[in-house]
Amino acid sequence: MKKAVYFLIICFLGILLNACAFDLFHIEQIPTQIKSTNLSKPSFELEKEVNFVLDKGFTRKLKQGTKWNYVGTVSYGDVFRSKDQILTVEASNIHEAYIVVSGGKLVGFYLPVERSYSPLGDSQILYMKEINQ
Amino acid sequence: MKSILKLFLFVMVVFMLGGCATTGPKFTEFAPSISNMAPDTGRIYIYRPSSLGAAVRPDVKLNGEVIGEAISYGFFYVDRTPGNYEIMTSTEVSRKLSMTLDKGQTRYVRLNISIGFFVGHVYPELVEDEEGKKEIEDCRYIGQKK
Repeated sequence: MKKAVYFLIICFLGILLNACAFDLFHIEQIPTQIKSTNLSKPSFELEKEVNFVLDKGFTRKLKQGTKWNYVGTVSYGDVFRSKDQILTVEASNIHEAYIVVSGGKLVGFYLPVERSYSPLGDSQILYMKEINQ
Repeated sequence: MKSILKLFLFVMVVFMLGGCATTGPKFTEFAPSISNMAPDTGRIYIYRPSSLGAAVRPDVKLNGEVIGEAISYGFFYVDRTPGNYEIMTSTEVSRKLSMTLDKGQTRYVRLNISIGFFVGHVYPELVEDEEGKKEIEDCRYIGQKK
């Protein structure tokens, strides 16, 4: 009988600890400084939709036809923002994000509120068309 | 005895539903009376377009200040100067949304609910303007919490 009670207590504690995991996963963030250079990078339009999975399993999409404007540069690439769609990265919390592009690929995200960089595990090729804005 | 029990259950259900009901004008009725935002501010609409977990109605905080309650089918709005903002709700855990607000910009924040251990978790999500405008139509104005 005692063993059964112990077993139940252990099970209960296990479930409780598991519940705590709700608040335990966060996206990777690297504090970074964004620099606005005099040489602004050209804006671009996405010619193809890009679907990708964030490191914590949430899916995101960059829509075809969205226009992206240069905001500045971080040490990981150039930062672009769009008024045509909302982009967030998500784990337990949700953060508004701008894209970071390097070598024609989406390599991660700049989080303007946290002033940090969040890398994307699998970089994605962006099909970009330069535009004048 | 059975009929007393039935009556008790009926009263309880009515009482519970009454507690969940959201009063106030619907967005479509209220919208004409909403004043334009001041030129140097932006506006954030916060709404909860679902009755799921209606009994769970945590406070909604904006940069640590309580600005309203997460009530099913309720909405409210705040005007703020441009800058960085964090919207947070807390039940058994705290969930946060960080976002920017530009001058003259209107943003829509939906309050969703997910499964929790003892109670559901209400979490704020930034949504596209078109989606927000459509979903908020079913909600009623509940005002800010002072």
